[in-house]
Amino acid sequence: MRKLGIAVALAVSVPVAGCVQTRQLADLQFTPPQGDYRLLVMRPDVSVGSVTTGGMVEPRADWTDQARANLTTAIRAQQAERGGQVQILERRDQLPGVSADEIAELERLHSAVGRSIALHKFMGAYLPTKRGRGLEYTLGQDAVELGRRTGYDYALFLYAEDSFASTGRVALQVLGIAGCFVGFCAPNIGGGGQFAYASLVDLKTGEVVWFNVLQAGTQIAGVNMGDIRTPEGSAQLVDRLLNRMKPGRDVRRAAGNR
Amino acid sequence: MCMRCVELNRRSLLVGGGALAAASITGVAQARIRPQDMVPLIGPGYRPTDADERGLWQLMDRVEEEISGSSLLIKDPAITAYLQQLIGTVGGPAAKDMRIYLARVPDFNAMMFPSGFSVVFSGLLLRMRSEAQLAGVIAHESGHFLRRHMIRSWRDTRRKSDILAIGSMVAGVAGGAAGVNTGDLSQLAQLGTILSLLRYSRQMEAEADAMSVKLLADNGYPAAEAAEVWEQLIGEMDASARYRRRRRERRWDLFTTHPSPESRTADIKASAAEVTVPGRTYNNHRQRYLATIGPIRQMLLDDQVKLNDPGASQFLIETLARDGWNGLLRFYEAEVWRLRNRAGDDARAAQGYAVAVAYPDAPPEAWRWHGLSLIKQGRQSEGRAALARYLSLNPAAPDAPFIQQMIS
Repeated sequence: MRKLGIAVALAVSVPVAGCVQTRQLADLQFTPPQGDYRLLVMRPDVSVGSVTTGGMVEPRADWTDQARANLTTAIRAQQAERGGQVQILERRDQLPGVSADEIAELERLHSAVGRSIALHKFMGAYLPTKRGRGLEYTLGQDAVELGRRTGYDYALFLYAEDSFASTGRVALQVLGIAGCFVGFCAPNIGGGGQFAYASLVDLKTGEVVWFNVLQAGTQIAGVNMGDIRTPEGSAQLVDRLLNRMKPGRDVRRAAGNR
Repeated sequence: MCMRCVELNRRSLLVGGGALAAASITGVAQARIRPQDMVPLIGPGYRPTDADERGLWQLMDRVEEEISGSSLLIKDPAITAYLQQLIGTVGGPAAKDMRIYLARVPDFNAMMFPSGFSVVFSGLLLRMRSEAQLAGVIAHESGHFLRRHMIRSWRDTRRKSDILAIGSMVAGVAGGAAGVNTGDLSQLAQLGTILSLLRYSRQMEAEADAMSVKLLADNGYPAAEAAEVWEQLIGEMDASARYRRRRRERRWDLFTTHPSPESRTADIKASAAEVTVPGRTYNNHRQRYLATIGPIRQMLLDDQVKLNDPGASQFLIETLARDGWNGLLRFYEAEVWRLRNRAGDDARAAQGYAVAVAYPDAPPEAWRWHGLSLIKQGRQSEGRAALARYLSLNPAAPDAPFIQQMIS
């Protein structure tokens, strides 16, 4: 009877273990772009895979292609609401007057900077000298140069990965929960989930002015909190990631004082 | 799928305990794979059709996009064309599909990626003494692609990790029902799985070695030279360790992704003897190789001596000099001494520079250091003459104004 009680308690608590988390950080003086701004969305870095029974993520080409196409559509729709002029790069050689190599350099620089931000601002390796100072990261002159030559005000970098438990993984999960009834309880082997981040760069200064990290998933294989392979799921991710852009601390305080 | 990869730490594996028990599951000794058994598993223009392999290729296309644009690449058109032509010769049926990139990394390594592009480190070009040796390494990498090793090992890993996951879970649930803790048992199973994956990896390396021997012989290269590559590497690792008063790190075969260099040498020699046809002439194309890498050889040597690994550098230079000393090798031999800076090394280096400048092909830097060493010894006028020679050979040297001031 006690075992059954534990199992029931777990079964109730299990759905609660799923979560969608976003954490955004902005430059202290950041105001979200409004009105007639020009935004360049860099080629979204997307990967979608399947979680094998053993727990490895196997990349899936068809799912990745689907998700990338859906995300592009979703970003375009989301930006149309905000009123900015937007171009979404699908290839590196798409901008007139800017070579693919220059775009590639900037993307690589951003992936290093983005990783640093994620590490030092989100994953716990906080730097004592940077506490309470918002975002102090920059892509430097290369970004300013890109803005000057193309006339864009902002560049948006987007990274998204999503994975889904395979049938085998789900079966294993079912077994793990069933085990709770006999005293071997593995209710949260996990498998699948989203991780994404977006980063907005001001092309006038080269600085990263806004950064948002999204994690969505559950501890249970087979239960996901979103699916970027579908148009709705992509729209949901874009909404979670980009639609609640908050101004920086100084701007918020000034607004509060008024 | 590289020549030498970072190996798993033995101690970390032993934590699970029971290595002996696991050894009996996976077996230790591996028989040599015969080159004639190595038939390519793909034809020209291969494209993946299965979902898992297509996913892998898509990922690799992104990787290749980054690698092909990397600033680490050496883009010298003559050398890249030469490498492309070489993989086009020893690449078997996929010869025309594979791409090869040369990265400026002063280390002995080459790797093949699942979608058929290969990256060769510049340190490899420094170490190879003939086209046949280099072709052997490239053929080994091609072998990985031709035998579809990456997708096969991915599937092997997936299958074994699936079995492990299911096994642990079923055992746990069964144990739970029976009231037995199966934790130790599943740790042992985990170790067994890792060992079995490593064994599979070593087997693929052995396959690629056998395949490379076959590809070399088929294309008129002396296949036995592939074994020299490993003998040279063993010597280099020994020399490097000896300088540091250590012994070369040897790991149990059981715990490595690659077979030991010793067993590779022995297997390649045996395989080479099998595929060599008596009466046929084989050419290692040493001259063609040396002529091609000539323009970058100084850079390769320079990168090597600056690694601060005098044992290895000295061994390498002496190995290359087995085909004849020249001004470049003598100069870098002296550079190793100068940078090593042990007692008496300054005099040794000074002598080395003096020897180097006696060769007609001594690089301008040899004159520079020869001159500076002479001045240090108090032989002012000779030293100035040598520095003047340096400036006349390399008027655009970055330190030219400084040297000019010294000699005027």
